[in-house]
Amino acid sequence: MHDELGRTLVALCLVFVPLSLLSIGGGAAILADIEHQAVTVQGWTTQREFADLFAISRAAPGPGTMLSALIGWKVAGWAGAVTATLALYAPSSLLAYGASRLWGRWRGSSWHAAVERGLAPIAVGLVLSGGLAVLQVAPGGPVLWAAAIAATAVLLRWPQVNALALLVAGGALFGLAGALGLW
Amino acid sequence: MVCVSVSKHALAKRIGLPTIFGGFFSLGITSFGGGTAGWLYQQIVQRRRWIDDPAFLSAVGLSRIMPGSSGVNLTVQIGQLLRGGVGALVAVVALLAGPLAIVVALSVGYAKLAGIDAVHAVLDGVAAAAIGLTFATGLRLIPRASPNAGSVAVTLATVLCVGVLRWPMLPVLIFLAPLSIGLALVQRRP
Repeated sequence: MHDELGRTLVALCLVFVPLSLLSIGGGAAILADIEHQAVTVQGWTTQREFADLFAISRAAPGPGTMLSALIGWKVAGWAGAVTATLALYAPSSLLAYGASRLWGRWRGSSWHAAVERGLAPIAVGLVLSGGLAVLQVAPGGPVLWAAAIAATAVLLRWPQVNALALLVAGGALFGLAGALGLW
Repeated sequence: MVCVSVSKHALAKRIGLPTIFGGFFSLGITSFGGGTAGWLYQQIVQRRRWIDDPAFLSAVGLSRIMPGSSGVNLTVQIGQLLRGGVGALVAVVALLAGPLAIVVALSVGYAKLAGIDAVHAVLDGVAAAAIGLTFATGLRLIPRASPNAGSVAVTLATVLCVGVLRWPMLPVLIFLAPLSIGLALVQRRP
């Protein structure tokens, strides 16, 4: 029984640790691989279960994908959820930590400043692109676009407004429209 | 108590570990709809002022180039700026602990909620607000990140290639990054 759990946890690590280091561009880059491993190779979930787990992971707060945690939870309870989360996030986090330290060490040199100033406009472009990417995959069409633009305008006009309040307002508005059959 | 760091670069304030944990835990459980960078900017940079805009921008750039979730990478770097390795560890654990518990709770309750249309509508509304937060963050940082015509052009090119045309990020970066860094060097010494 214990051996069984141990084997499952090791299998979770073997799947998610390499994916962690391959996920350049974030969780979306490895989604197809996670699906292939979980459904076809390991048989941890069915196709249908995987789709459900993905939907749930999108609805939860937090960074990136919590999909790995859900797969871990399904095959091995809390131990699986924690193992899968660590396996997916620890390797890339260690790499980011090393890069951040190295980067900080060079602070003050003139080329460091130039690289930083050169990367800043790209970083901003990538932030905006992230918003566009979500907008394109989110179901909802023009109404969603209009709501997103309205939210942008509110936040630009009043930067101190609590984004969570905006979120609740957005959810409530759409929920109300949905309940009335308008949406 | 908050006092300015006296380390070799005074980028970040010296923040206690429990405060770091609290800040990133609340970030984790409130950052709905993805786009952690936007949430982090509002909560950690604008509201709490733990780091300044240039430090945030620098971390955003690195967080997207490295493998892994950019939100987690960003948190690692800001934790590191605030309190070194321990700071990074505390920030990441705090960021992930809440969402992990919530996602498991959701999966337990999902079977009951999935059939209700209003649930999907609410999720769409949440997504719209979260996208707005991401856009507002990017737009707010443009004056600092792209102070001249050349760097504005780089930002627009990035948005066009990655955001609109959906080209893979890595080749775009390999082309644009040297160009943009070269521009920064030239503009430094006219």
